[in-house]
Amino acid sequence: MASVGIQIRDLSVKYGEKPALREVSLDIPPNQIFGIIGPANSGKTTLLKCINRTIDFVTTASVSGSLLVADQDVRRMRNVYELRRRIGMVFPLPVGLPMSIYDNVAYGPRMAGVRQRGELDVLVERCLRQAALWDEVKDRLNLLGTKLSGGQQQRLTLARALSLEPEILCLDEFSIAIDPVTTMKIEEVLLELSREMSIVLVTNLVQQARRLAQNVAFFNSSRLVEVGETKQLFTKPREQLTFDYVTGNIG
Amino acid sequence: MPETAMRGNGSKHFRYFVAAKPNGSTGDGTPEHPSRSIREAIEDIRVRHAGDSPSVQRLNGYDRIDICSVFKGPTTSDTKQRYEFFVDPLGASDLAIGSAQLPWPDLESALEGVAKMDAEGAIPLGPGEHLSLSVREVFSATPVDRRKRRHERIAQVVLGLVTLTLVVPLVAILGHLVYKAWPVLTPSFLFENPRNQMTAGGVWAPLIGTFYLVFISLLVASPIGVLAGVYLNEYARDNWFTRVVNLAVVNLAGVPSIVHALFGVGAFVMFANMGESVLAASCTLAIMTLPVIITSTREALASVPMNFREACWNMGASRWQTIRTIVLPNSINGILTGVILQVSRAAGETAPILFTGAALYMTIPTKGLRSFFPYSLQDGCMALSYHLHVMMTQVKGASPEAIEAGKSLPLEHLQYGTAIVLIGLVLTVNSFSIGLRMYLRSRKKW
Repeated sequence: MASVGIQIRDLSVKYGEKPALREVSLDIPPNQIFGIIGPANSGKTTLLKCINRTIDFVTTASVSGSLLVADQDVRRMRNVYELRRRIGMVFPLPVGLPMSIYDNVAYGPRMAGVRQRGELDVLVERCLRQAALWDEVKDRLNLLGTKLSGGQQQRLTLARALSLEPEILCLDEFSIAIDPVTTMKIEEVLLELSREMSIVLVTNLVQQARRLAQNVAFFNSSRLVEVGETKQLFTKPREQLTFDYVTGNIG
Repeated sequence: MPETAMRGNGSKHFRYFVAAKPNGSTGDGTPEHPSRSIREAIEDIRVRHAGDSPSVQRLNGYDRIDICSVFKGPTTSDTKQRYEFFVDPLGASDLAIGSAQLPWPDLESALEGVAKMDAEGAIPLGPGEHLSLSVREVFSATPVDRRKRRHERIAQVVLGLVTLTLVVPLVAILGHLVYKAWPVLTPSFLFENPRNQMTAGGVWAPLIGTFYLVFISLLVASPIGVLAGVYLNEYARDNWFTRVVNLAVVNLAGVPSIVHALFGVGAFVMFANMGESVLAASCTLAIMTLPVIITSTREALASVPMNFREACWNMGASRWQTIRTIVLPNSINGILTGVILQVSRAAGETAPILFTGAALYMTIPTKGLRSFFPYSLQDGCMALSYHLHVMMTQVKGASPEAIEAGKSLPLEHLQYGTAIVLIGLVLTVNSFSIGLRMYLRSRKKW
């Protein structure tokens, strides 16, 4: 699985008149975990929506600038379905689709045309294992995904995101609904996965970014304040604002 | 010794009496010898109920002390409560003012508080009135709670009564109809055609006609309505076109059915050259039911959480894939209910079919397979609602001799019988729809 990076140049997004991202330029290198931190309303989620172009579904949004995934401008891409298949997304609130656990994980591949049961079986098991959910649900794969607990549903969401073997995995505060032990399990999985895919990790837990990410970007009020290696950003940030945020003096 | 009474729940009730104009000497708070002022009564209370001496009568939960203002001289007359203060050891707060929400923590502070208010003249007590000092038990009802409970009971009764006034006429009407129609309510009434200038026989022809109209009109209206609903809810952006369509749908739902009838005459009978036929009548009914089907479809679709759609889109599913795999399967119950409820509407309306296809009188086969498919789409048909209308306005009742001879039935029985069949049809369809909805809701997946 070839891993691909993301290049963002002068990306601006407005919801109506309200700017959500202002001229962001950023390189997200392949094969590593890239952390994005910042307070609420700083544009983190909007950035993720731009990456897989689900921003299209927000009718009030207007986008300018360029965003390259695998050297292709996302905004000019004709086949957005292919784009979204290659980018796994996990949003903060768990969403178990109202179908069985098995069908939840098999949903993406099926929508992409995979029909063979044997193939799907293997895939479902692998994804559920990766999301640290397999042991809990292996005996009841026919249970409705919506009947799982919140934490389990979140891992189901992760398994679903992995089901299309994405080259980029975007996680938006995935650990909000999960207990610390499971969070640690998933973090280990993420470290493993980062060898073969790019992971964009948006998180409110500054320490989580510090633990996992090789590079971290700090956003504040819809601007990219600073980006750099994790160690440098957490110990010797160039900007005072970054320093205040990572040391807990603001936010 | 002031009056003491045991109350029902085992708590004690003390009454200290105060006379507005005492005769010189001070009393001890009894009705015969009232104290001279509230201040003195408070002193008495403090001596008797507060402090450390062993003879003190401590106050427990629900105990109450009243300071009753009376006219001079011996009296035991009841007094009216004017003020109510509370003591509650657990409810103590720095802001205590003696109210139910902010009670005093103990009797000492309560007496102090009352004395202060008395000194300020904040609690004037006329003869025949008293102020109460109650020890609240934990979790006991405050006056606010009691008021809430009272309002609750009133609301319950009023709402219940309103519901009852709604149900009673319904049951009365149904009962009256069944009672009036009882003599003709036999299977043969259902399965026979009207006979003898519609003074005998049953309702087979109109019944089958109604089935025809309802079935064909829904066959036309539901695909159009459901698909339009899907488009409006899932695809349409919020622009002027969508808004115009929405406005049209809402207004179409409000158009009187007789206007639909005129539209039907113009559009289907004349312009589309269908003539007065089952097809024209069904199309007119379809136009009439369309807006409600669109609206109920949209509501059913909107009840599927947006999260589900976003999750699917994030998986690379197209809008249509999402609708097919997630949105429709989870809203089909609501859509079906909306469609089925339109059955009763289509079956009940007379006006739209009046000029577009309802026949005054037809005989159709009552035996064999032919009897279920008697009408052709190009011809008119009888219908229950129109049949009832005819029975009420056009048909002259049979002569007493004919009824006597058993050739005819009293007109009234036939009218009520027709009404019962129509209502029965509607109620059957409605209860089927309710049953379906309950079944599907029990399988709801989130």
